[in-house]
Amino acid sequence: MQGRRDRPAASFFHRLPLVAAVLSIQNLVKVYPSGTRAIDDVTLDIQHGEFVVLIGLSGSGKSSLLRCINRLVEPTSGRVIFEGADITRARGGELRRIRRRIGMIFQQFNLVRRTSVLSNTLAGRLGYRSALRTIIGRPSREDVAAAFENLGRVGIADKAFARADALSGGQQQRVGIARALMQHPELMLADEPVASLDPATSHSVMKYLEEINKKDGITVICSLHFLSLARRYGTRVIALKAGKIAFDGQPDDIDERRFKEIYGEDAVEVEIGPGRSTESMSAAEAAALALAQDSTTAAAKLGLPDR
Amino acid sequence: MAEYFSARGLPVPRELERNPLTDWRRLSVIAAAILVFYIGLRITNPDFSRANPEYAANVIGQLLHWDLRILTPQNEFETFWDTAEGLMVATIFLGIVATGFSILVALPLSFLGARNIMSGHPVTAAIYIFVRFFFTVIRSIDVLIVVIIFGVLIGIGTAAGVVGLAFHNVGVLGKLYSEAIEGIDAGPLEAITATGANRFQVIWTAVLPQIVNPYISFTIYRLDANVRLAPILGYVGGGGIGVLLFQSIQLLQYGAAGLIIFMIVVTVAAMDFASAQIRKRLV
Ligand SMILES: Nc1ncnc2c1ncn2[C@@H]1O[C@H](COP(=O)(O)OP(=O)(O)OP(=O)(O)O)[C@@H](O)[C@H]1O
Ligand SMILES: [Mg+2]
Repeated sequence: MQGRRDRPAASFFHRLPLVAAVLSIQNLVKVYPSGTRAIDDVTLDIQHGEFVVLIGLSGSGKSSLLRCINRLVEPTSGRVIFEGADITRARGGELRRIRRRIGMIFQQFNLVRRTSVLSNTLAGRLGYRSALRTIIGRPSREDVAAAFENLGRVGIADKAFARADALSGGQQQRVGIARALMQHPELMLADEPVASLDPATSHSVMKYLEEINKKDGITVICSLHFLSLARRYGTRVIALKAGKIAFDGQPDDIDERRFKEIYGEDAVEVEIGPGRSTESMSAAEAAALALAQDSTTAAAKLGLPDR
Repeated sequence: MAEYFSARGLPVPRELERNPLTDWRRLSVIAAAILVFYIGLRITNPDFSRANPEYAANVIGQLLHWDLRILTPQNEFETFWDTAEGLMVATIFLGIVATGFSILVALPLSFLGARNIMSGHPVTAAIYIFVRFFFTVIRSIDVLIVVIIFGVLIGIGTAAGVVGLAFHNVGVLGKLYSEAIEGIDAGPLEAITATGANRFQVIWTAVLPQIVNPYISFTIYRLDANVRLAPILGYVGGGGIGVLLFQSIQLLQYGAAGLIIFMIVVTVAAMDFASAQIRKRLV
């Protein structure tokens, strides 16, 4: 199952142990019907166990790249190889068998709001079930046990029978993580998983991602708006700019000059030291967010109270 | 307002430039509407000369002088189902059965007529366009015309009423159902697709929970509308109490007609109340 290609020299750059890439993206291009070139010839390898943080301005192509990996978005050209299997060529059942090994969590959590937390979590097993069993069968004992275990891991087993829309944002995102864990994923994609959450909750969600990365050895690719979070959690940072890779390296290597390259000359780094009240913090974060969403040139760096 | 802009050397927005009294576009629209109304009046040329207030008052009197014989079987061949109240009950069920048939067809078709379910593949996209076109075509034929056609095709009577009403409602419900599917939150669909679920599982898990409420609400709305429509269908060959109303007016039995009209009014009002109550409970 391991990829047998020669890896480009770029992967040495990350000073990681020489193992076969879990994910290899080759000359990926995504052009939307509107003509937008969202991904413009991206080539990169991601190794087992990495925690890759994707950064870049709004519209730089982060979501498009993540969605091309599991083909929620159909790539225009190029290849995505996951554990030696060419996702871009996979059809029907083959594609679904690859997808079930790749978990995904979303900015808007994307839970089925009207159903219970437990059903939402069990949905993570759908890729392992036949359509018929989905309709007439009851979930198996093992699946229910696994659902409770995963909900327990993210600290919300007591909410199993609550309706998903009765939960707070942070809790919903944790259900999202539990649902993805049900897939026994080897790779976890996270598209701005904390962008709708307050700073404190953001850290709690990021810590669960960090834990599944470190303890379970699940490779994580996570897009983030805040450089401080990228520095805190990422083992590698990839910056996109207009669909191209603008930076690929260690989080600490993003200095002033690189920062301006990624976010533009007028970019402002917002720094909030520890010890501030939550209130002033969220106001500052709101301002930073507003800047970041201004899309032309802005970025924010949030130094949050320590871990 | 316009001075605000001109004083600052800004271009005056066009909305502010127009004077409503001299705006020729607005005036010409009003003139055209008046002209159409005038021409229509000349063409239809309503003739009120035969209207006779005394005669009308007399008929109203007869309509209010209810003929209660229609409420009981009049000979040994008649049963409850030949009485006015029996026919009223049968007519209500005609509306219910027609709604039921239309649900059976519209429900599965609505998925084929939802853009967000069918996009992404040329074949499914073509089916989507065809299904929505089909809904639009059958919806655009008025229900009375549909019942007349079915009366000709399969014979005048309840069958034509049920089938005609159901046929028309496939178009109405199909469109409403499809739009309910198109209005759902796409996020859960994306998330469930990402778990490796197939299209069918995605619909079952992420679409159905989101459409249950709108489907129930649209169905009650159509059930209500169909039960109101059913009494009229007898006039165009669709069976039910409308036939009795038609006959009694043809035979100048205004006492019977008045009672039937009263029964229809009461039924419609009760239906109105009931459906409002049910929908209130559901939402
Ligand atoms: N479905 C779509 N149809 C057409 N264009 C799209 C579509 N999705 C994204 N785009 C365009 O592709 C480009 C990249 O968008 P993408 O959502 O990948 O960026 P992003 O980095 O995730 O931005 P954000 O930080 O705002 O989420 C943008 O110019 C966007 O307008
Ligand atoms: Mg995005």
